[in-house]
Amino acid sequence: MRIRIPQAWRTPLGVTGAAVALVWVLIAVLGPALWPYDPLVQDFPRLEAPGVAHWFGTDELGRDVFTRVLAGARVTMPLAILLVGLSVVIGGVLGLAAGFFGRWVGETVMRLTDLVMAFPTVILAMVVAASLGASLLNAVLAALVVSWPAYARVTRGLVVGIREADYVLADRLLGFSPLRSLGTDIVPMVIGPVLILASLDIGTATLLLAGLSFLGLGAKPPTAEWGSMVATAIQNFDSWWLGVFPGLAILTVVMAFNFLGDALRDALDPRTAGELGKAETR
Amino acid sequence: MRPVVRRGSPLARYLLRRLGVSALLIIGVTLVTFLLTNLVPGDPVAANLGQRAAENPATVAAYRAHYGLDRPLPVQYATYLGNLVRGDLGESQQTHRPVLTDLQSAVPATLEIAIGAIVLSVLIGVGFGVVAAVRRGQLADSALRVVSLVGISVPTFWLALVAFYVFSFQLDLAPGSGRLAPATTAPPHVTGLYTLDSLLAGEWETFGDALAHLMLPTLVLTLYTVGLLTRFTRSAVLEVLEQDYVRSARAKGLPGRTVLFRYVLRAAMVPILTVVGLAFGALLSGTVLVEEIFAWPGLGSYAYQAASHLDLPAVMGVGLLVGIIYLVINLVVDLLYGAIDPRVRVR
Amino acid sequence: MFGARRSVALIAAVAAVVLAVAACGSGGSGGGSGSGPTLVIDSTFDLKTVDPGREYELTGQMLTHGMYETLLTFTGDDLATPAPGLASSYELSPDAKTLTLTLAPGRVFSDGSPVTADDVVFSLQRVIGMKGNPSFLLDGVTVAKKDETTVVLTSAGPNAALPFILPNPALSVVNSKVVTANGGTTDDQDGAEKFLNTTSAGSGPYTLESLDVASQAVLRRNPAYNGPAKPAYENIVIRNVQAATQVLNVQKGDSQVALDLSGDQVEGLDEGELTVTSGASAYTIFLFLNQGADVSATTSNPQYVSAVRKAIDYAGLLQVAGAGSVQPAGMIPTMIAGSLPAEDAPQQDLAGATAALAASGVGGPPPKLAYPSDFTLLGLSFQTLAERLQAQLAAAGITVELAPAPVATELDNYRGGKEQIGLWYWGPDFPDPSNYLAFAPDGLIGKRANWPASAAPDIDAAAKAAAAAVDPAERARLYQEFQRSLNAGGPFIPLVQPATNVVTAKSVTGAAYNPIWTLDLGAVGAAGGA
Repeated sequence: MRIRIPQAWRTPLGVTGAAVALVWVLIAVLGPALWPYDPLVQDFPRLEAPGVAHWFGTDELGRDVFTRVLAGARVTMPLAILLVGLSVVIGGVLGLAAGFFGRWVGETVMRLTDLVMAFPTVILAMVVAASLGASLLNAVLAALVVSWPAYARVTRGLVVGIREADYVLADRLLGFSPLRSLGTDIVPMVIGPVLILASLDIGTATLLLAGLSFLGLGAKPPTAEWGSMVATAIQNFDSWWLGVFPGLAILTVVMAFNFLGDALRDALDPRTAGELGKAETR
Repeated sequence: MRPVVRRGSPLARYLLRRLGVSALLIIGVTLVTFLLTNLVPGDPVAANLGQRAAENPATVAAYRAHYGLDRPLPVQYATYLGNLVRGDLGESQQTHRPVLTDLQSAVPATLEIAIGAIVLSVLIGVGFGVVAAVRRGQLADSALRVVSLVGISVPTFWLALVAFYVFSFQLDLAPGSGRLAPATTAPPHVTGLYTLDSLLAGEWETFGDALAHLMLPTLVLTLYTVGLLTRFTRSAVLEVLEQDYVRSARAKGLPGRTVLFRYVLRAAMVPILTVVGLAFGALLSGTVLVEEIFAWPGLGSYAYQAASHLDLPAVMGVGLLVGIIYLVINLVVDLLYGAIDPRVRVR
Repeated sequence: MFGARRSVALIAAVAAVVLAVAACGSGGSGGGSGSGPTLVIDSTFDLKTVDPGREYELTGQMLTHGMYETLLTFTGDDLATPAPGLASSYELSPDAKTLTLTLAPGRVFSDGSPVTADDVVFSLQRVIGMKGNPSFLLDGVTVAKKDETTVVLTSAGPNAALPFILPNPALSVVNSKVVTANGGTTDDQDGAEKFLNTTSAGSGPYTLESLDVASQAVLRRNPAYNGPAKPAYENIVIRNVQAATQVLNVQKGDSQVALDLSGDQVEGLDEGELTVTSGASAYTIFLFLNQGADVSATTSNPQYVSAVRKAIDYAGLLQVAGAGSVQPAGMIPTMIAGSLPAEDAPQQDLAGATAALAASGVGGPPPKLAYPSDFTLLGLSFQTLAERLQAQLAAAGITVELAPAPVATELDNYRGGKEQIGLWYWGPDFPDPSNYLAFAPDGLIGKRANWPASAAPDIDAAAKAAAAAVDPAERARLYQEFQRSLNAGGPFIPLVQPATNVVTAKSVTGAAYNPIWTLDLGAVGAAGGA
């Protein structure tokens, strides 16, 4: 592995990203200790504009928007990380199999990714939500269905590149079984770049989950979730604070992870970076 | 999806194979859509009949018979495929019109914003990307990097809302929702793209109105794609810049501009095209959030409405169409690969 | 490569022109309305068709009412007296089984041909025979022509509600010659819907110019119209627009009427520029607790029902529902005969709730409160309402779990009687109290709550007595009795009658809300005779 994280973090973008991400992680971890009010309590006047008592105003049920934005950090971020983790595992395993075991396994997996990618995300998500009920976990499930193929493709691409490398062939000639070769020669080479891709993807995953919640396919009320908070803002257009602040929260979180990921990627060698770049178009 | 270069295999043979695989994939998409929509616990009868009507067995029976819902699932699916071959996508339970007719009016609406967005994105994004690559490490590179990163980080649904609120409502710089002002009548139907149709008919006022309505949704969609393309172009160009032949061309003393356009961009165009193609596909099928906010009667809104009303024929139609769009774009991109990059040429 | 470069330059040039023109275009269109008196109405569409015999959706009702006429109608928002429509008078027999209608003379369809008794018979038989959404309105009714100007409707049982049913736009009279020529029949083989979605065949003040059920409908003044209304506009455009956008459009002058704004949304509007007409709608939003012990041992416990009824802070719900909404005292909304006076409404009683909850002795997992999460009624989101309810119940020590689902899937659970607690609404099919027998034990909604007649014989008896009455005063009294018994021992809790807010530009007159067809397009006028 040729990744030297400390150096990557020294770029201004990397530092900014890391700082903002750290702030949000702290907000999520500290949770109630930082909240001025209870995010669920409906005690305040409804739709109050931002002021001294309520920095971000109050919502349509008289809840404090600032508290709810802070509380939202505990909802979306862990799930985005969960989504990415599951995608890595499923996509990674399938991609490994596709790249290593060659023709028909590879062909089947690749056509499967085609099938998923050719399918409209919204319809898929709606069907999943409709059959399993709207909840954040189901939203993760729906998003998982559409997000694993990217990892399968990248992993396969990397494996195919490495499979024919001299040292792998040499070990095979030395009598390594296919599985041992996979375990000792290939997986360690693939795992680094895929994890980098995963870290790049946390931002995207956050966006996707927020989008699903926005459509009412994610967070179950009265949970404070950013995407669904923006959705209620549509009903109350004049109360701009309802939508602007949760939207900014999404934006800053996604931006922080993207800055961070970008800095990390710069520390990679260009070939791997190129392979990752392709995956990002999904 | 790179074309398999096989000695002596003609383009026709390659195309045939691709089409065969695509047809299988399309059938796969219809099968998956069919199974998924039927797995949903909701009943289309409940979703589409009024509550009094749904209590009346005769009405329910008539409804089921009309949409063929009274037959076993395998028969329903076989019937669907049979009708599909004849170009019949069934009748929407929502609009009571043929799904094909619905799609014919929804697709141009989406195409109009998607084309605008992709053209703008390519112009801006590729330009930005090249500049960033050439000025690697300089101020311009850093600035463009921030811009592109912000671009891919903004939640589109939020941006659409904010843009609408600020530009249309507060500043009155953009017109309201929809494709045309209510007093404007749609131009005679030729392509379904209002801008093009109004030009063809010589209706300048309609053209201006259609363009004005296109502006905000297009720009909102553009931001994300610009970010994507800038990032991608930059890395693609950088990759080429490090190739030996580019270095030697430089060493030979060819002017930088010539090297950039004749060697670098040409080689980088290949991966960039792939991304442009995929991004365009994503635009066509992924505009639902923006369409909902701008009341744009496009494919995204149609898909959303269909799915939320369990309108099975319409959902199937959308699934099918999106699948075809994806496959066609992939095919076109692969063929363009061959046309642009002499190293990948299907003989 | 040269070619490619040139084409890029070309695209750039085109884009530049495009942007420039777009900028001009937006400047131009800011000016406001185009030529000719055109009325633009923004509405959130609930629309599948404008074939009168098949439509039974809100927007469909409004459009159909503008293009067709019914035998009887309602004037303005007065739902208590059926007024003459295409029939100049009617007579209901003392046993309420025979309704005789006399046609108004001289009325014509949009093609100039006269409206005849044959047209009436064809239209109503078509609704019955097609077995569509509105067919139930004429369940058990047979239609016959007596002579050229008289039509007789015979019901199988006493049907005092029929004069209140006939104004429904689904029972509009169509031009039978035109409809028959385009595939219309009076059985389920009818094929005229496609035609009627492109061309109207009615005698109403407007005709159909174009229709796209997903985005907009355009109506044009019917030049042949010779009825009592005074259509003021050459064209009416009805657009499908989300409520949030409606607010903006009407403020900018992009539209002249906005129909779906919530109380919160109209609050900030400039009353100098716009007219806001608010009033209670005819919808009843209610909560029901499933009485099936197999569905939930908790919600079927009578003490638990009583605890929930007493725990709700009804005034607090009205706050969320917005200005203009009211608390209905029973299931029947205020404007329909037989509704209860306000003092009969359920009251919050926290001590009583605590006592009832303790007496119920329920334990186990908290019941699920199901509701259509993607549904808004007149700008009031069921999501918001459910969240407020949950918080109110929690304050009284009653825990419920929210169970949102898209309306398309949740309807199935609701109609199948599978919801433990349900938050739904009822809109009258026709403004007659008999429509609310649905809430009787074994009634349409009673069944959804798994509430059989055997569980509440006294309420069942009250409902049957009300149903059998014919005399208007007697009916009203008996329906009130029925609702009092329902409030005391039924599984339904009426919560909110949400407000309707019709927002119009100052130039628009006569835009009064009607619970059945929302807006009487023929009655909408222009100030200063635009």
